[in-house]
Amino acid sequence: MRSEGATAPAHSRPESMVLPAWIGRTALLAPTYLWLALAVFLPILAMLAFSFMAATPSARQPVVWTLEHYRAFIDKPYLVPVALTTLRIALVTTLLCAALGFLVALALVRSVAGRAREVLLVLILLPFWTNALVRTFSWTMVIRDNGLLDLALGPLLPEGATAGFLYTRAAIVLGLVHGYLPYMVLTCYIALSSIDRDLIEAAQSLGARWWTVLGRILLPLAMPGLVSGAVLVFVPTVGAFMEPRILGGRVGMTLGTVIEDQFTQAFDWPLGASLAFTMLLVVLGIMATFAGILRRGGGLGLAR
Amino acid sequence: MIAAGRLLVWGAIAFLYTPILVLIAMGFNASPLYELPFVFSTRWYEALAENRALLRAGTNSVVLALLTTAIATPLGTMAALALARGRFRGRTLLQLLLLPPIAIPWLIIGTAMLIFFFWVGIGRGFHALLIGHVALALPYVVLIVGTGAAGIPPELEDAARSLGAPPLRSFRAVTLPLLTPAILGAALFAFAVSLDQFVVSYFLATPGHSTLPVQIYGAIRKGFTPEINAISTILLLGSMAVILLFLLLARPGRSHGQG
Amino acid sequence: MAHPTRRTILTTGAAALAAPALLLSGRRAAAAGQVTVLNWAGYGTDEAWAIEAFREATGFEVVHDYFSSEAEMLTKLRTNPGAYDLVAMNSARFPEAIADGLLQAVDLSAVPNAAEIDPQLQKLADFGQDGTNYAVPWVWGMTAIAAREGLTPAVDSYAVFADPAYANRTAFNDDPVIAIGVGALLTGQDMNDPADFDAVAGVLKSFKPNIRLLWQSEDQWNKSFAAGEFDVGIYWSGSTVRSKRNSGLPVEFIVPKEGAIGWVDGLAMPAGAPNPEAALRFADWMVDPDFYLRWATEVGAPASANARAIAALPADDLSRKVHDPAHLATISFMAALPDERRQRFSDVWQEVKAHYAL
Repeated sequence: MRSEGATAPAHSRPESMVLPAWIGRTALLAPTYLWLALAVFLPILAMLAFSFMAATPSARQPVVWTLEHYRAFIDKPYLVPVALTTLRIALVTTLLCAALGFLVALALVRSVAGRAREVLLVLILLPFWTNALVRTFSWTMVIRDNGLLDLALGPLLPEGATAGFLYTRAAIVLGLVHGYLPYMVLTCYIALSSIDRDLIEAAQSLGARWWTVLGRILLPLAMPGLVSGAVLVFVPTVGAFMEPRILGGRVGMTLGTVIEDQFTQAFDWPLGASLAFTMLLVVLGIMATFAGILRRGGGLGLAR
Repeated sequence: MIAAGRLLVWGAIAFLYTPILVLIAMGFNASPLYELPFVFSTRWYEALAENRALLRAGTNSVVLALLTTAIATPLGTMAALALARGRFRGRTLLQLLLLPPIAIPWLIIGTAMLIFFFWVGIGRGFHALLIGHVALALPYVVLIVGTGAAGIPPELEDAARSLGAPPLRSFRAVTLPLLTPAILGAALFAFAVSLDQFVVSYFLATPGHSTLPVQIYGAIRKGFTPEINAISTILLLGSMAVILLFLLLARPGRSHGQG
Repeated sequence: MAHPTRRTILTTGAAALAAPALLLSGRRAAAAGQVTVLNWAGYGTDEAWAIEAFREATGFEVVHDYFSSEAEMLTKLRTNPGAYDLVAMNSARFPEAIADGLLQAVDLSAVPNAAEIDPQLQKLADFGQDGTNYAVPWVWGMTAIAAREGLTPAVDSYAVFADPAYANRTAFNDDPVIAIGVGALLTGQDMNDPADFDAVAGVLKSFKPNIRLLWQSEDQWNKSFAAGEFDVGIYWSGSTVRSKRNSGLPVEFIVPKEGAIGWVDGLAMPAGAPNPEAALRFADWMVDPDFYLRWATEVGAPASANARAIAALPADDLSRKVHDPAHLATISFMAALPDERRQRFSDVWQEVKAHYAL
């Protein structure tokens, strides 16, 4: 393919025949955004409208408009610690994924060559193809008291002790890290695979220490991948409800479960929707705060 | 250094596959309640062979996920390229618009889709499922391919073009090879998003027709049996075999990157 | 070959258009003689043998769509007018469904087996409005306690959830109606309209040290119980029968002195049901003693609303023992809740859960 491009006869065109850039750009963007508009944006706008209604719309009663659901965090103060816990869980999950994902991607790029590298990358991504519920349930078998973890550690554990930690926040984080790590490995791998190996060797031959190589070369180059990865991990984990429910037991209440309950138990779409939109705003706010720090790294547009 | 790196990669794989191995093992465990100790049995695979509803749901899921991937990957790649090149008005807004579909829980989006599709007459059925699945996969594709596109110096393509190559050719010759890992990764994730998506399927599938996740979540009321593990195992090992064979056979020659 | 990308897209598009035909073929032909049922998955109407027998007897094909919460059931009814012939619904949900115009009247004279239905159930429940009947009463059951066999101290009250002897050894149901109900019964209040919500919240919060997990499905309950994670839990009567008999779990159903929480499920016909006669025939099939005998003894079921069906069970049948009519004296049945009160139930339960979690 590369040689084809080089040997092909030159098709130079008169400048007047080149279309303006915006037409090509629109043609590239239109299919995705029209599709999203029909299937996601317009339905979400309908939900946004519902969030200003007093009750779930029905034939029984007239629609009453109100802002009261956006006061939920004031009217229901118990939601504030729940929200903070949720953000903390999402943050810890994102940081763990970033550290692990960066290191694994780096190891893939630096220590494995050729086709083995692709095979290993695919092996890392494939667990994602199993059903999340079944996967999460499998974790419960590992980390419950007298579960597979205890079985594996058997001789190392003192008599009667357990290494099980099911129904704790650590269990929720474990499930989330497991579920979202592949995103981070992939985005970091994509960013790092363009690093020129000679650059690192040149730096090292000039006497650069490993932390200089890491801080000055590797991290800046990986930044676009870390940023996209952080978006793909942090954003969905804030609203996650399946992992907290199954792995969290009594402590498994998060913003995601509160929102889910409004749709499944209370049949209160307005409250559920307004909580979801508040959550979206908070997530965007956090992203915007970090965007300033990450701006230097370039990469994905959000960081620019 | 290299040995440490390999150890790390294999450590990560061990972590990621811990529940997968449990999942596979429990498909061969006799207890319907996933009780230990382990007693080997193939009863769940025998039951699965008889369970036409589950097999049909599995087939539906794979067909839907393949179509979703085939549509979302090229569309999302196009959008990612447009977003990665040049600055234009509204670009930041377009990028921010990718976040709500990821941030808002699927349950809400699913409910909203059901209502909206009812209003505008799209209704339910396979077409509605496909519209929904592609829409939910698109933001992931755009973000992942966008990461790859951000790492390509625009000068490369400019150089090719200044040598007289038309845009499409310079894209194929210069950009596409560099983007291949990102596009493949995005396609894998688009497939996964569709395969695991149950809320949209739950709301939009025609009664009497379902997908694998719908069967799994529906079975919770009475309890799902290791038949679910059996079909998950078959799906996972099957797709693994297909992808690895593709990697090993389809592209002889040097792999991408500076490997 | 000049435009591989466009070609790929076109081929894909064509495949996308062809696929619906692939997946929906077979449905069109059957649609005329078809009953579409909306129900919980695995809840009687979708037993393969029953559907098969019904098809042989009447020629009608039974097709299912499922819901995983009552709210979702109402949403599906609203957004799919004319799609369903029959829906299984908790009696407490009937008044709002009727008020929303989602249901049509049911003439019980077209349902022969309805003649045997326990008059008490018909009276207790919210099946009718202004003299019009909207349901074929189907089954009733209890939500109370299921405990590991042979526990000491013996369990005879919901207060077990605050008993230090069971610290971290209980499972509670993550459902606001059940949770508020238990709190109200323990504080001597009407579970459908408690006057003192603070007392309810207080007693529920006192359960915190005992609660290991909050369950939402029979699946979760059985697997956690089998793994020995808890000894005492809130549970459903029909599920206890299934867990003990089919899964061999050492569990017994206990109606505490405060009484069980009762519910009645009816089969209703959505407004605009495409096939109403067939729907009523299938409803009749569902309250038939022959169907019930097999459902209760081979699968495990709640109590049939049909008195003759209960009488047909063997005297030592577990379903029959669990659903002892003597319990009817102490059961509090779920009643319809106005929207504001339902929201209050939900808010109180969320607050209690936040207390558990933090």
